[in-house]
Amino acid sequence: MRVLLVEDDRMIAEAVRTALGQDGHVTDWMADGAAALAALSNSRFDIVLLDLGLPRKDGLTVLKQLRERGDATPVIIITARDDVRSRVAGLDTGADDYLVKPFDLDELAARMRAAQRRSAGRGDPVIEHGEIRMNCATREVDKAGVAVPLSAKEFAVLEALLLRPGMVLSRAQLEDRLYGFGESIESNAVEVYVHSLRRKLGSDAIRTRRGAGYFVPR
Amino acid sequence: MRSIRGRLLVGLLLLVAVMSLITGTITYRRVLGETSNLFDYQLRQMALSLGDQASFMPGYTLPPEAANSDFVIQIWDIFGTRIWSPGLPLLDKAILGYSDLTVQNERWRVYALLTRTSVIQVAQPWSVRERLAREAALRVILPLLILLPLMAVAAAWIVTRAVRPLKGLTTQIEHRDVRSLTPLVAADLPTEVSPLVEELNRLLERLAAAFESQRAFVADAAHELRSPLTALSLHLQLLERARDAPDRELATSRLREAIDRATHLVGQLLTLARNEPEAPHADRVPCALDTIARSAAADVQPLAQERRIQIQLEAPVPAMVTGDADALRILVRNLIDNAVRYSPQGSVVQIGVRDPAPGQIVLEVADQGPGIPGADRARAFARFYRAPDAAEGGSGLGLAIVKAIAQRHGAQVTLADALPHGLRVLVSFPAP
Repeated sequence: MRVLLVEDDRMIAEAVRTALGQDGHVTDWMADGAAALAALSNSRFDIVLLDLGLPRKDGLTVLKQLRERGDATPVIIITARDDVRSRVAGLDTGADDYLVKPFDLDELAARMRAAQRRSAGRGDPVIEHGEIRMNCATREVDKAGVAVPLSAKEFAVLEALLLRPGMVLSRAQLEDRLYGFGESIESNAVEVYVHSLRRKLGSDAIRTRRGAGYFVPR
Repeated sequence: MRSIRGRLLVGLLLLVAVMSLITGTITYRRVLGETSNLFDYQLRQMALSLGDQASFMPGYTLPPEAANSDFVIQIWDIFGTRIWSPGLPLLDKAILGYSDLTVQNERWRVYALLTRTSVIQVAQPWSVRERLAREAALRVILPLLILLPLMAVAAAWIVTRAVRPLKGLTTQIEHRDVRSLTPLVAADLPTEVSPLVEELNRLLERLAAAFESQRAFVADAAHELRSPLTALSLHLQLLERARDAPDRELATSRLREAIDRATHLVGQLLTLARNEPEAPHADRVPCALDTIARSAAADVQPLAQERRIQIQLEAPVPAMVTGDADALRILVRNLIDNAVRYSPQGSVVQIGVRDPAPGQIVLEVADQGPGIPGADRARAFARFYRAPDAAEGGSGLGLAIVKAIAQRHGAQVTLADALPHGLRVLVSFPAP
C-alpha cells in the first residue's frame, strides 16, 4: 500500500514509517497539514494516517477539505485526543477509523487492512482468484494450497492487481505503490516484480496490455 | 461564651437586671428624700401644735396624729422634769431643731422645740421612712422582674431570628460538595455578615482559578506526555521486531533518543511546576546575573558547538539582582538554549547584561533565527506553545518557564525583533 503519514512528531513518524516499511508498505511523511493537502492533490494514496494536532493546518481541516474535494481515500486518524467528542468529530468529518496514541503497531496494521478492505467493498481479508489465495492479514499467498513466498514489493504489486481484477494498472500507477516521494525508482523494477510473480504463480497469472499496463484476468 | 446568640441573650438579660436595680435604687433614694422632707415638716408641725397648748394637764389627750405609734413624743417642763413620755425612755436630753439619734440600735429622726414652759421632742424611727421608700422602689422593680422571663423569651426569639441568616449560610456551606467552588448566595444577609461572605466568595473565586489552572496544567502535561510515550512505545515495538543486529542497533538508539526526550519533558514540567506562582519560594539572596549568564552560556556551549553557533556574552558591569540563583540560571539557560536551537547554523547568539538605570538590570538574548511574529508573541509564553517551525525536541515549555521565573523575581519579559532578523528577549529586573 502507498501510505501518506501526516504527523508532526519526527520520532513517531520514523517509527511508523519503519514499521510500515517492514510490512511492505511505502510511506510518505508530511509534518504539517498544508503539505499533506498538497501531497494528496498531487498523488494517489491507498490510505492516509492523519494526526489531528498539526502545525499550519489542523488535521480535522485537512480531512474536511479532502472530503470536500471528493477524495474518498481511506483516512485513519491517529491522535492523542482520546475524548469522545474528538472521536465523534473525527469520524463525522469523514475519517474511516480513529486510533488513540499510544498505539500498537500491529493494531495499526490491522486497522489499515480493514480500512482498505472496506474501501474496496470487501469484508474478507482473503482474496481468492482462481487458484490463487491471498491473505492480506497474514501476508501469505498460496496457489492451489501450496504456499508461495513473496517479497514485500511482489506482494504489493499482486495485491494492487488482485484488488480490482480486470482493471489495467499502468507501470506508473504500480510504481506509485512501490516507492515513496524522493525514493529512486529503478527503471525496470515493475517489470522485474511482474516477471518474478509470473515465475512463482504461473505465466497466465498476470497479463500485459501492451502500451497500457498489467492486469489479472477476471 | 463563643456563641453570639448566647452572648446577646445573657447580655440583654443582664442589662435589664442592672437597669431594674438602678431604677430601684434611684426610686428608693428619691422617695426616701421626698418622704423625709414631708415627715420632717410633719414632725415640726406636731411639735408646734403641741407647744401651742398652754400646759399639759393630767387627762390631756394627744392630737390624733400623735397617737400614731410611729411617733414618740416627750415633753419636759422648764425644770427638766419629764411631764410626758410614751413609756419608753428615749432620751434624757433634747437637741433643739432636727437631729438623727440612735437608740438601742434604732435610728430616729428627732425634732425638738423649746417653748416658754416646756421642751417638746417629737421623734420618728427612720425605718418608717425607709419602709415607704422600699415599697415604692419595689413597686417600680416588681413589674420589671415579673416581665424578665417574658423578656428572655422575646430576646431569644429576636436573637434567633437575627442569626438565622448565619444558620442558613452554615447549612449552605455544610451541604457543599468538596469540589464545588461556586460563590455562596449572599442575598438577604445582614450587612454585618455580607462583607464576610463577599470576602469568602472572593477567596473561593481565587481558589477556583488556582484549581482550574492546576487541572489545566495536569491535563496539558498528560496530553503532552503522550507523544514522547507513543514514540517510546513504538520504538520499543520496533526493537522487539528487529531481526538483525543493525536493525536492533538503530531501534536501540532511537529508543534511547525517545527516553531522553521524555526525560527532558518531565524535567521541564517539574521546573515549571516548581516556579509556578503558588509554589513555595526559595531563599532570596543577592546573585550576580553576569556570572549566572556566563555559567548558563557554558551549559549550552556543547549544543552551540554542535550547531556551529557562536555565543557572545557582553556584561560590562557587575549586575546584582536579588533572587534564587538556581532558578535564574535556568531562566538564562532556557533563553540561550532557545536562541541556539532556532538560529541558523554558523550564526551568532548575543547575550547582554546591562544596567540602564541605577539598580535596574536588563538581560538580553538575541538570535538570528526566524523570530516570533508580533501576533504570536502573547501566545509564545503559553505552556506547550511551539512555533510553526519549532526546532526538534523542544518541549514547548522554555518560554513559559522563563516567564514563571521572571514573575517570581518581579521581572518583565518582553519579546522584540533582533536586527536584521531574529528574536530579542529582554528580561528587566526592577531596582530593588
